[in-house]
Amino acid sequence: MDAKLTNKMTWLQILLVVAFCFLAAFFCQHNDGLYHQTIYQVDQVQNGRAVKMTDEFQNVDHYHTQQLYGTITNGKHAGQKLHIKNSYSDSHAMDHQYTKGQKLFITVHTQPKLHATVKDIKRDAPIAFLFAIAISLLFVILKLRGVTVISSILINTILFWLAIKIDHNNNGAAVILIFSILAVIFCFVTLILVMGWSKKMLVTLSAVLCATAATILITLIVFGVTQERGVYYESMQYVTQLPKPLFIAEVLIGVLGAVMDEATDIVASLATLKQERPQLSRMDIFKSGRQIGKSIMGPLINVLFFIFMAETLAMTLLYLKNGNTWHYSFSMNMSLGMTSSLISGIGIVLTVILSSAFAGLWIKGDER
Amino acid sequence: MGSITALGLVLLVLMIIVGGKQGITSFLSMVVNFGILFFTIVLIAFHLPPIIVTIVSSVILLSITIFWSSASDNASTTAFQASVIVLILIVVIIIPIEYWAQVGGFGLEDSEELEGLSTYVGINFTKIAIATAILSSLGAVAEAAIAIASGLDEIVSQHQAITSGQLFVDGTVIGKQIIGTAVNTLFFGFFGSSLALFIWFYGLNYSFGEILNDKVFAAELIAIVVSLIGVVTTIPITTWIMSFKLKRLHKSQLKE
Repeated sequence: MDAKLTNKMTWLQILLVVAFCFLAAFFCQHNDGLYHQTIYQVDQVQNGRAVKMTDEFQNVDHYHTQQLYGTITNGKHAGQKLHIKNSYSDSHAMDHQYTKGQKLFITVHTQPKLHATVKDIKRDAPIAFLFAIAISLLFVILKLRGVTVISSILINTILFWLAIKIDHNNNGAAVILIFSILAVIFCFVTLILVMGWSKKMLVTLSAVLCATAATILITLIVFGVTQERGVYYESMQYVTQLPKPLFIAEVLIGVLGAVMDEATDIVASLATLKQERPQLSRMDIFKSGRQIGKSIMGPLINVLFFIFMAETLAMTLLYLKNGNTWHYSFSMNMSLGMTSSLISGIGIVLTVILSSAFAGLWIKGDER
Repeated sequence: MGSITALGLVLLVLMIIVGGKQGITSFLSMVVNFGILFFTIVLIAFHLPPIIVTIVSSVILLSITIFWSSASDNASTTAFQASVIVLILIVVIIIPIEYWAQVGGFGLEDSEELEGLSTYVGINFTKIAIATAILSSLGAVAEAAIAIASGLDEIVSQHQAITSGQLFVDGTVIGKQIIGTAVNTLFFGFFGSSLALFIWFYGLNYSFGEILNDKVFAAELIAIVVSLIGVVTTIPITTWIMSFKLKRLHKSQLKE
């Protein structure tokens, strides 16, 4: 009976999730009125012949042209039919192949007569669809806990945006200071949401902050001693201000989540341990903390390693295909990701030591 | 000595202090993972099919991350099986999404860096975006699978008589604790690695709609949300495999 009930529940849930995802995507397919930019829907496509081309590194690609026939769907030209030419290559590195039914952002020119060029493709529907899947999975699997997770992400996103605003208003003068303060607030908010206000939370907070500060200090010392040899700031992407402080701020924020994750695990387990066996000495607690940390740190370092390294893939590949050596392609694209991964690793290992030590010093058996 | 070598040495020493032998293994797993990742890129550069190469190397990367961690045999086997299933799920979700959103390749923000580079290299960059999204989720999925499998293995070894139904409930409880913080690891990693991009958007007054539809931003966002989906689905899948094994164990014990 019970099993039947849960089965029914799951089917209903699955149906609701699917409906929710498609609704989200459907809404975004038809929200053109919300945009200032002109949107164009492709009604018909005529593909031209492909032309083979070879670049100076003997890379073979094909160049295609296509004729798009469609309608403008918003703004003052809404409803007008338009014909646009487009060209694309097989590699799609900087261009797109458009298909029937797609929506595109276009720039409209009225002189001498109405014509347009495609700026970019409209991507909000797939993103909304993916978000809908993620949010419904969070609720289905985590139930009420999903609310905490989502609100923590939301609050942190808003804080992050505010910090960027402040940074911009200062013309990027005090990046490290701004993002250090932000890091403290991030930790405070996130840990309160995860653990609630308690002594355990304060122990975790101090471990996280000390570990992060020590990490940045070690990084700066190492950079000083080695004179930053092999750190190519010029290869940093999307830089609009002084690269070095920006890089430090990036790593600082990047490692924070992993460090909090780990410190929460260690402190919570040690608190439970001390409660069950209050006779354990400070040294015993420290040692068990190290034992727990030892097994978490490896996988945790790999989490950040994959996030930092995977995003360099496309550019590294392009460098390799442009006749550069492995070493040069690595240096110009992957070395900064590698540096961030190593710095995060140092932060994660330091957290094991500090959170075990702080838990040993401050957590007593009679409190939770 | 270069900075990377020096930082690597500092990390190695710290890991040995904390973890002893396990510390060396963890350090090596990162080095070997890097080697495999780089080799994957080289294979793709030699025009091997990007998605297949990525899936094969993902399985290898997962096995190294999981089997070289200090988890027990039962826990790491379960974690590996679960993470491979999650990997398949991720691949199934990401392929249509990437073709739908067309976030492959480079955006206008990359123009400066692309100067002097030929972008007509005959490799489909939509497939490269799929590979990127799959690879960036691996660490998070492996970590979640190890954490849940270890927790459940601990319970099974302490209460041999636990029913598989009860284990499923326990798994969900452990999973909930782990996810709350694992999500933070992912999102802060994302915030950190795209800090420069966000400052760029703010500085150039991008509107919300422009950011959401921006190729570079959309690519990063899709990668991180797919990782999140991977981490969340790891909970029921790992728990399910563990309780399935327990059921089989109970059955074979009954026969004896």
